[in-house]
Amino acid sequence: MNERLSNRLKERRTELGLTQSELAELCLVSRKTINTVENGVFVPSTLLALKLAEALGVSVERLFWIER
Amino acid sequence: MSYRPRPEFDQPNAETVQRTRRTFLWFIPLIILQQGTVIFGHGSARSSQIVGTVAWACVSLAIIWLLLGLPMRWLSERDQAILNDEWNREIRGDAALWGMTALALIGCGMMLARIWVQLDFGLAIYSLVNGALIVAVLRYAWLNRAEPGEDE
Repeated sequence: MNERLSNRLKERRTELGLTQSELAELCLVSRKTINTVENGVFVPSTLLALKLAEALGVSVERLFWIER
Repeated sequence: MSYRPRPEFDQPNAETVQRTRRTFLWFIPLIILQQGTVIFGHGSARSSQIVGTVAWACVSLAIIWLLLGLPMRWLSERDQAILNDEWNREIRGDAALWGMTALALIGCGMMLARIWVQLDFGLAIYSLVNGALIVAVLRYAWLNRAEPGEDE
C-alpha cells in the first residue's frame, strides 16, 4: 500500500503571513526542516508535528493527514 | 561612565555554523587524502613528521568540533537546537548508512582484488576506512546542501 503524509503547512503558513524562516524560528528548527516537511520530503516526528500545529494555531489533524 | 555590552556582531550562530559546514564539508575528502601522504611518508625528515602530525591533529580536531558541534558553549540553546534538529539527525543517520554500505562494498572489492594483487596492509585499512568516511561525508554534504529560497 502506498501511503504518504500530506500537509497543508504552506497554505496555513501563508494564511498567517509567516515565512519559512519565521516558522522555523518559532519551532526552533532549521528552515531546511520546514522546507522539507512542506515539500513532503521529510516526515516530522510527533513532537515536531505538534509544535508546528501549535505555532500555526491549528490541530495536528488539520495540518497533516495520510494520503492513500 | 557606564559600560555598554559588547556588540555581538562577531558571535557565531546556527546559521553561520551551518554555512561554514556546507562549505567546509566538501573539503574533507581532500583533507583526508592529503593526510594519507603524511601518514605514509615514513621517509621524510623527523621535523616535517612532527609538523605534519601537529597540523593534522589540529585539522582533525577542527573537523570533529565542526561536525559534532562539541559543547559549543558559545552557542545559545536556540542555535544548538537548530543545528541538531530532526532533519540534521535524519541526514546524519542516512550518511552513516551510506558510509557503512561503502565500507562493506570496498571490503568486498579488496577481497576480490587480493586474488590478483598483493595489498599493503596499512594502505588497505587506510583506504577502507577513509573510503567509507569520504562516502559518508559526501552524502552528508549533499543532503545538507543549501535549501531553495523561501517558498520554492
